[in-house]
Amino acid sequence: MAEPRLLGFVLRMRAFIALGVVTLVFSLLSPEFLTTGNLSILVKHVAINAILAIGMTFVIISGGIDLSVGSIVGFSGMVAGLLLSRGLVLAPFDTVIYPHVWFVVVLSLLAGMAIGAINGWIVSRLGVAPFIATLGSMYVARGAALLMSDGATFPNLAGNVSLGNTGFPWIGTANLGGVPVSVVIMAVLACAAIFLAARTPFGRHVYAVGGNERAATLSGVRVAQVRLRVYVMSGFCAALVGLIIAAQLGAAHPATGSTFELNAIAAVVLGGTSLMGGRGTVGGTLIGAFVIGVLADGLVLLGVSEFWQMVVKGLVIVLAVILDQFQKRSS
Amino acid sequence: MVRAARTSVVALVCVVTSVLAAACVSCSHTTDPGSGQKRVAIITPSHDNPFFKAEAEAAAEQARTLGYEVLVNSHDDDANKQDQLIDVAIARKVSAIILDNAGADASIAAVNKAKAAGVPSILIDREINATGAAAGQIVSNNYQGATLGAEEFVRLMGEKGAYIELVGRESDTNASVRSRGYHDVLDKYPDLKMVGRQSANWDQREAFQKTETMIQGNRTIKGVIAGNDTMALGAMAALKAAGMADVIVVGFDGSPDAIASIKAKEIRATVLQPAAAIARMAVDQAHRLITSGSTGQPEKQAVDCELVTLANADQFGVFARK
Repeated sequence: MAEPRLLGFVLRMRAFIALGVVTLVFSLLSPEFLTTGNLSILVKHVAINAILAIGMTFVIISGGIDLSVGSIVGFSGMVAGLLLSRGLVLAPFDTVIYPHVWFVVVLSLLAGMAIGAINGWIVSRLGVAPFIATLGSMYVARGAALLMSDGATFPNLAGNVSLGNTGFPWIGTANLGGVPVSVVIMAVLACAAIFLAARTPFGRHVYAVGGNERAATLSGVRVAQVRLRVYVMSGFCAALVGLIIAAQLGAAHPATGSTFELNAIAAVVLGGTSLMGGRGTVGGTLIGAFVIGVLADGLVLLGVSEFWQMVVKGLVIVLAVILDQFQKRSS
Repeated sequence: MVRAARTSVVALVCVVTSVLAAACVSCSHTTDPGSGQKRVAIITPSHDNPFFKAEAEAAAEQARTLGYEVLVNSHDDDANKQDQLIDVAIARKVSAIILDNAGADASIAAVNKAKAAGVPSILIDREINATGAAAGQIVSNNYQGATLGAEEFVRLMGEKGAYIELVGRESDTNASVRSRGYHDVLDKYPDLKMVGRQSANWDQREAFQKTETMIQGNRTIKGVIAGNDTMALGAMAALKAAGMADVIVVGFDGSPDAIASIKAKEIRATVLQPAAAIARMAVDQAHRLITSGSTGQPEKQAVDCELVTLANADQFGVFARK
């Protein structure tokens, strides 16, 4: 009697336990691991994947998948780079406007949301499988990012005082009360997402659509609208990440973000969200993102070769899904 | 509902058609059939790296000047895609292929296939592990360049101090050749201590993150030596964010972004590979081979790299001396 209950508990808490184990192992192996300096860098690195994964969680709970997020990261960064370096070219009026940094940020976010909206529209109105629809937009967005500069990097995003568009690197380098801006963004987004998923009708509708679409339709949920919204949210999160990376590097590179979608999906799955939809939590996803981040940074700190880092990451993901299967069978 | 879906499909078809039309307009100048004009194919890795873009453009310009029609393509470091592009080049009856290949071993079969079909290949930038397959292999001397960069690094460090090394993609020959060149110089100085070594896969963002993590364990580092410029720039951004902008950073490639960074007194030095000059040499030799039956040069040719520092940064343009 006691044993199955203990097993059930271990399975439910597996992401927490995994995080505890990897943290313990690295703090034993490397004296620098548990220093405040290293932990703050670690959280900053985790933020990139966590923000993507938060958006991805809603998509996956709704029964979909979004393969285009990595390309949206590159695309939105390039939109920001283009607007900061070359300005907004209004060809018919023969003028170039250099928008203020906040306007650049808004336009880049809108660009990401627009790609998300196209994904959502193709999935919900045209009935294309999410895997295919977002696979297509993954290629289109990456190609568009490359076309924007003919493949080149926009190297200096610090802006120009005479054009009044300085300040962009703030997003990537500044601290708010000692906390990096990207971490603040992650925290705010995570709180909003947890609230949205657990406490609002929209959140319940996302679970309903992913759990049983027909039942959701019959009980009056506007399935198409819910679908559209989750992809727009995912596009928004990806665009945020694109801005953060471009601001950190002070440069926008069109190939940024390739394979990010897989890291985000891995974090979501590690966090216990089912790829079949209908089941999962934002909190779990955050822990999943931390497990991946701790592994990546810890192995770098120990000086482990890149090849082993990939092997370890892969094994941890597969192990997590195996445990997930166990949990489903035992419950 | 059905009607809405039908309208949507029509809209989508219109979008796709117009995008295709736009794509065709943008590429029409390269697919111009030109009666009886000889063609050369130029195949390189992805143009999102300014290095490959510069060599492809230099080769294309030189070939057009010599009166050739030019097919430019990118294999994205995928040996299979490279193989298909070479098939296309053979099918389109090109007179020569200028190739920056997708792998020292993985490219041998494709180059041999072109040779068997009567199409000579001149390789640039990267060698293959075979002789006799290509009509020429012109590369910059990565080892010599790495020793140049390392010597400057030693001088800037004052022959002592802790440093970290960022290595390129570990499956890439140039990554290990450059690292070997660095260490053949650096390891002679017992007071120079390497306290961290990671691959950042030639990538700026990876170099940024890995440098941030590595400096946590080693706050006292005095230098970073990187296997290429994008990694050097990523490391520099991380050091600046950590308030360690005085750390000595040295890169490799001589990209315009790195030279701008040297002029802005951020990274200290890079090693310029004369990629544009090599690309032009390759086209000239292909032209000689087509017109007179011989390149007039040995198959393997190495061109020396040059050190770029603040003192001489003004003399360099896009992967070439001005």
